[in-house]
Amino acid sequence: MTGLGYTLPAIAAVLAVCAWELLALRTGLFRRPAYWLTMLIVLGFQIPVDGWLTKLSAPVVEYSATQVSGLRGPWDIPVEDFLFGFALVTAALLLWERQRKCDRRPAPASGRRPAERAESR
Amino acid sequence: MDHFQYLLLMAGCLVLTAPLELLGARVYRQPARLARAVLPVAVVFLAWDAIAIAAGVWTYNPRYITGLLLPFRIPVEELVFFLVVPVCGILTYGCVQAMLARGQSR
Repeated sequence: MTGLGYTLPAIAAVLAVCAWELLALRTGLFRRPAYWLTMLIVLGFQIPVDGWLTKLSAPVVEYSATQVSGLRGPWDIPVEDFLFGFALVTAALLLWERQRKCDRRPAPASGRRPAERAESR
Repeated sequence: MDHFQYLLLMAGCLVLTAPLELLGARVYRQPARLARAVLPVAVVFLAWDAIAIAAGVWTYNPRYITGLLLPFRIPVEELVFFLVVPVCGILTYGCVQAMLARGQSR
């Protein structure tokens, strides 16, 4: 195994997405509990869905043994797939979040957004 | 039916997450915003896919895909994957946010 084909790009993708947010976009996504809760739920669903694609008993996708670390999780999911999935979903959430209008902060205790308050003044 | 395994799996993801829209996700109601979030990411991941396919990093079992190929020998299922999975993620995020907001305002 060299891992060059998948392991390295998967690690690079995670680093790139984090750098994109922290250095450029600065949406604040990583400070939102909703984001981390979402990623936990996504992880929970990734296991059966990804597992269906990668299970060695009847694989839909097959990986070159020389390009992966060889570490495989439940249903033979390559550990790299979890990095790949994190980067894919986080990147889309970042672009989604970047287009958020008005309510940059979580709703205040009154349940009204700051922008709405400003409008009603 | 085996040739539709990958596509059916993706359809299942869409069906399973569809009710989230009604639970407050408000994602499908913003189609332009959704497209601007999903499409650029899909393009990047399709490019990664094309390189990995060309380099033989991964291959697709012809038994479980339709055999319809996009340019660079990318199975059409992969395009569907790169659209469906982020949409499911955004739906989940929208729903979680709506539920947390409801909890706060109570």
